[in-house]
Amino acid sequence: MQLILRLLLTLSFLFLCILPASTEHTSNWAVLVSTSRFWFNYRHLANVLSLYRTVKRLGIPDSQIILMLPDDMACNPRNAFPGTVYSNADRAVDLYGDNIEVDYRGYEVTVENFIRLLTDRLDEDVPRSKRLGSDAGSNVLVYMTGHGGDQFLKFQDAEEIGAWDLADAFGQMWEKKRYHELLFMIDTCQANTMYTHFYSPNIVATGSSELDQSSYSHHADNDVGVAVIDRWTYYVLEFLETQVTSANSKLTLGDLFDSYDESKIHSQPGVRWDLFPGGEQEGRLRTVVDFFGNVQNVEVENANATDPGSLQEDLAEIARLVEKWRKRDQEYLTTRSDASNQSNSQAPQSNTESRTLSSYFSQRKNVGPAKMDEENCWQKRLVGVSVLGACAAAWFAGSILGRT
Amino acid sequence: MLVPTRNLRSNPHLLFVRLPYLLSFLCIVVGVIWLLLLPLNEYSRRTYISENALLPGQVHAYFSGSEQNIFRGYKKELGGLLVGGAGGNDGEDGSRGERGNGKVQSILRAAGLKVATQNYEYTSAGIRHQGQNTYAIINAPRGDATEAIVLVAAWKTADGELNINGITLALTLARYFKRWSLWSKDIIFLITPDSKSGAQAWIDAYHDMHPPSVQPLPLKSGALQGALVVEYPFDHRFESLHVVYDGVNGQLPNLDLFNTAVSIAGGQMGIGAVLQEMWDHDDSYEARLETILRGMVKQGFGYATGAHSSFMPYHVDAITLQTKGEGWQDEMALGRTVESLCRSLNNLLEHLHQSFFFYLLMQSNRFVSIGTYLPSAMLIAGNFTIMAIALWMRTGYYAGSSSPSTSAGAPAEEKKETTQKGSDASGVMERQLALPLTFVVGLHLLGLLPLYIFNNLSHQYFSSAVYTCIIADILLPLTLAALLTHHSPSTPSTPANTIPQHYLLIKSFSFLLLGLFLSTLATLNFSLSFMIGLLCAPLTFTNRTTSTSVLRYIFSTIGLVILNVLSPPVVLVGGCWYAGVSVESVLTQAAFGWDVWGMWTQVVVWCVWWPAWVTGCALLGSSMF
Repeated sequence: MQLILRLLLTLSFLFLCILPASTEHTSNWAVLVSTSRFWFNYRHLANVLSLYRTVKRLGIPDSQIILMLPDDMACNPRNAFPGTVYSNADRAVDLYGDNIEVDYRGYEVTVENFIRLLTDRLDEDVPRSKRLGSDAGSNVLVYMTGHGGDQFLKFQDAEEIGAWDLADAFGQMWEKKRYHELLFMIDTCQANTMYTHFYSPNIVATGSSELDQSSYSHHADNDVGVAVIDRWTYYVLEFLETQVTSANSKLTLGDLFDSYDESKIHSQPGVRWDLFPGGEQEGRLRTVVDFFGNVQNVEVENANATDPGSLQEDLAEIARLVEKWRKRDQEYLTTRSDASNQSNSQAPQSNTESRTLSSYFSQRKNVGPAKMDEENCWQKRLVGVSVLGACAAAWFAGSILGRT
Repeated sequence: MLVPTRNLRSNPHLLFVRLPYLLSFLCIVVGVIWLLLLPLNEYSRRTYISENALLPGQVHAYFSGSEQNIFRGYKKELGGLLVGGAGGNDGEDGSRGERGNGKVQSILRAAGLKVATQNYEYTSAGIRHQGQNTYAIINAPRGDATEAIVLVAAWKTADGELNINGITLALTLARYFKRWSLWSKDIIFLITPDSKSGAQAWIDAYHDMHPPSVQPLPLKSGALQGALVVEYPFDHRFESLHVVYDGVNGQLPNLDLFNTAVSIAGGQMGIGAVLQEMWDHDDSYEARLETILRGMVKQGFGYATGAHSSFMPYHVDAITLQTKGEGWQDEMALGRTVESLCRSLNNLLEHLHQSFFFYLLMQSNRFVSIGTYLPSAMLIAGNFTIMAIALWMRTGYYAGSSSPSTSAGAPAEEKKETTQKGSDASGVMERQLALPLTFVVGLHLLGLLPLYIFNNLSHQYFSSAVYTCIIADILLPLTLAALLTHHSPSTPSTPANTIPQHYLLIKSFSFLLLGLFLSTLATLNFSLSFMIGLLCAPLTFTNRTTSTSVLRYIFSTIGLVILNVLSPPVVLVGGCWYAGVSVESVLTQAAFGWDVWGMWTQVVVWCVWWPAWVTGCALLGSSMF
């Protein structure tokens, strides 16, 4: 009986231990944010739209992409090519294309909305397209670009998000089980300061430039008249477009980060691994499409999930309880036998919870009064014997003395 | 350290008589040296573009190729009309101008623009200025009609030459711009008959501030964000662009506009930009200083230096691009520069405001801002205030103190004066304010008389008026001095000794006002304040002389001669002689400025400088009586 129980416990514990190390995720989400408006910030919107195009190409559907664009460059009257946005002076790819779904636009792009989106604190009436529907099985890509500084990123003209705000938002996401793994990318001046305060696990963060470094634009289009893309984003995209050609690509994040070339980017990009279980070694093995692509892994009925209420969780909890009670039981019994010098040989050993419980209580009830009774009985007998003895002795002595 | 301070405090003569002169002198010297230091690298800064939105030179300018044929065609059409003379439409050649304007209108209409005209007429100094503005608007194809850029070409340049290439270029650009769909602002093409009055009439009417003699505009657009004036008055190729930026009353356009023009011309088009007619600027200290001084003279005089100047009172930043020299740049290069500039202005999201509005340029890429140069004029204005306060203290404070006549080295007149006061036993002297106040206020009001005369006289009388004014300026102070000496009211206590107090109070009030006006003016028109301050500086050191009779006459006569050389009309005549222009033309221009441009320089001359000067002369002259 005990053996079977032990076996079961070890099995379930083993299973639980293996689970977190699994790379399995069930959905991919992307949050792509440009935080600056105005014509001369054309490149920030082009950055985001380029990323948007890439994640769409690798399979993330529009329903799982939250695109935040504070300005409409395509319809800006200054745009020499109305209705289009290009991120390269060759103007080969119109990023605005035919099907683009902007979820947050214009003045909707605010720090508040962004944090509400991440932490799912949106009103009931907010449509699904504006919600980040990720869950504990989702890999989330968060890409941000704009004008930033030491531990802040400017949103539009008047507000900014701080590094702590962002860290707390991701912390809440983790607590609310809104991501499985998260890749944070940011292209702004002093970008690497933005992820310094992250504390929730399973995050890989990368940025374009160190503290006190500017991020530069890559090149300008002389007909559009503005810079069209930032350097870091340009080279990240170059990698994604030329190397990660399909959703089946086996290239890893390590390959992506190794492709950074400071002489081209003109600033020092940074990567943060320490929040990732297994650190850099483990993180480098994640494939790029884990975040940029859309996995089709299917999971049957919560078999692997670790949610509260799932079978595994319950089993583990039960096993833990069983173990606890069993220990207490044994402890009690040993103390009990020490005290009363009486071993309870028929202590019930059952493999089900109810039996253990009932036998435990019944045993306790039986022993208590018996002990009390026995002790009184012996005392009384001794007293009776001694009284009788004394009486007999007195009678015997009296008869002898009376004779004489 | 303590002993000299105590000495100073216990010696009122030193404190109230000698120290103020020393301080005033120091202020003036430091003020001038300050200005001379500005061209040094340590005190000036390189120019930079503050406004992110401008993006100067980032866009390729396509104005070339076939547009050149259009340009030649237009030029031929216009040239055919204007053969045999200037193409402006002033009164005398009105018919030719009408025909020119008719052609301009038909060309603009053919290019698909909305065209309108405006007639205007000004009369100043007996001269009638009339003409007809033609303008056309390109409505921003995808923009809202809330903002506009103005492109101006005048038939006559600021120097009075026929601006045939400039006009043709504007027309060609109108046709060319019309085909672009990237304008976020309306573009207004304004063709004016001359650079002096046409733009003024148009901009006044655009803001509904026009006089009755100017027609209102039938067609309008949004708020003006910037204006460019194009001048190309000769047929050969040019070498460099002369950027003119001075506005009326010394107002300047935002430095960003100037920087953008320089950066586009130099950086993108490879055309050198020069300023303030410094054709051979070698970036030496002397060249920089000369550029600053030329800029200051223009700013100080406050006249319009081109059609762009009229825009500035309405806070529309504007510059003129003049082609200069003999080189290899053609009209297409100028056209591309204008195109690129328009694209930069088109990028603007709000009115130019990032960069400086108060600056002195010393080179196309070097400037000093108001914070650096302002102390110079402020120190000079401050010298008068110091003197005014010292004189005020002296009139009340000094009377009761012990006679300081023993102090050695005091000027003779001061010694005498203080001795007189020292003999006054009353201790505290009461200030008699009525006469000094009346005198100073009266003189300032009297300044309105020459102001009115010079602004309303017909131009042929200007020369004689100036010479009359010079003579009047010699006689008036002497008359006032005589009146002051003989008819001043006497105080009941010591009739003989009250006269110096009047003089001191008059000087005090006069200087108080002068210091006040000049320091205020320094923030608005630094150069004018600086110039007037310097011209008035000798007044600080003149006073009623009270030495022995012979010396007194000699001193005061020499003093009066010197002061008369520095009187407003004499300075005007001297300046005209030096510059080689006629007094009449300068005064006609000034009257025109007053009537049309709203120029305030005369007010400062006649109501600030002249009263202070007359007061100084009268005080000095009083020693003769």
